[in-house]
Amino acid sequence: MTQAAVSNHHGSDEHHSSTGLDNRKLMMWAFLASDVMFFGTFIATYLVYRGKSLVGPYPSEILDIPITSVSTFVLLMSSLAMVLGLHYVKAGEKNKGTFWIGAVVVLGLVFIGFQVYEFNHFVNVGLTPRTNIFGTTFFILTGIHGAHVTIGVLWMAFLAYGNHVGTLRKDNAIDLEMAGLYWHFVDIVWIVIFTVIYLISANDTPPPGMESILH
Amino acid sequence: MANLWQKLTHFKGNGWWNLPQSQAAQPNPQHEGPIGGPWLMNWWNWLTYGGKGHAGPRFYWGVGFFLAVVTLLEVWAFDWDFLGGWYVPLLLFLSVLKFVGVVAYFMHLRFDNRFYTYTFVSAMIVGIAIFTALLLLAEYAHQTPLF
Repeated sequence: MTQAAVSNHHGSDEHHSSTGLDNRKLMMWAFLASDVMFFGTFIATYLVYRGKSLVGPYPSEILDIPITSVSTFVLLMSSLAMVLGLHYVKAGEKNKGTFWIGAVVVLGLVFIGFQVYEFNHFVNVGLTPRTNIFGTTFFILTGIHGAHVTIGVLWMAFLAYGNHVGTLRKDNAIDLEMAGLYWHFVDIVWIVIFTVIYLISANDTPPPGMESILH
Repeated sequence: MANLWQKLTHFKGNGWWNLPQSQAAQPNPQHEGPIGGPWLMNWWNWLTYGGKGHAGPRFYWGVGFFLAVVTLLEVWAFDWDFLGGWYVPLLLFLSVLKFVGVVAYFMHLRFDNRFYTYTFVSAMIVGIAIFTALLLLAEYAHQTPLF
């Protein structure tokens, strides 16, 4: 099959290689593949040390499911905004594209705001990375995820500005598509974190005979 | 013997080194559509403005609504005491639904070149293997080695 036969039907400036794939997009998928193992290790570490804390606060005492559910919903909706933004940029609808990419930035900032609030609350009730093994594994895992979200927000802000001033167009929408892959990945990692840490671990009570520092 | 060699290494006159790429290896393959076969195609065409290329906003809104409902179910299930031992499996199942929804449709793996899917799924397999190995190691680390 010739190079032309596999060219992108959107008419973008994708860089095709001997595989018929865009190098940059393949690189992003390879990066995400490595990130799967990165997060997989931290999530496994959290589970290995789950229920091993000798002092409180324990997950059942401080995890706030309703608030985290809202932040999870916000992140899911940011993924929707992302895919709509990509659609409109590819369709050449600049204003709608800017609006939806801007929405990703706003929703990402709201999610980070929830995380800052949560971290601050946990520190105020006595849970820090040094308090117990739950604190250590929790802050490392959610903190690294938060760092990913922060990088994504900055990336999206640049792209929203680029779309607004016309440097991001439908012919180079691959730039936004790669950023979108990164953003959706951050979302799916949170899907796992929300289930494993918040919904499953939220019922983890202190081990028998252990007094919580909250009581 | 020569005939066997020919059968093993050739297909429709072409050697394996010269086989045309399959349709599935092309970006935006024509076979894309909902899992379930042709009976869903009318619905799919309505959602995607024609059934070719990436899906349209209507479809994305639909996926977003589905993800929101599943998240609501997860949070709701948190208070369902009657689930007992089924609570964790149910949550894992719902998480997988959300995971697949985002990866397949928002990340376009369902529409895109299958090599991307192979790359990501390979990493998932290795990641899950690392995950499982770590958990097993922690579970049985205190036991006397068999060998």
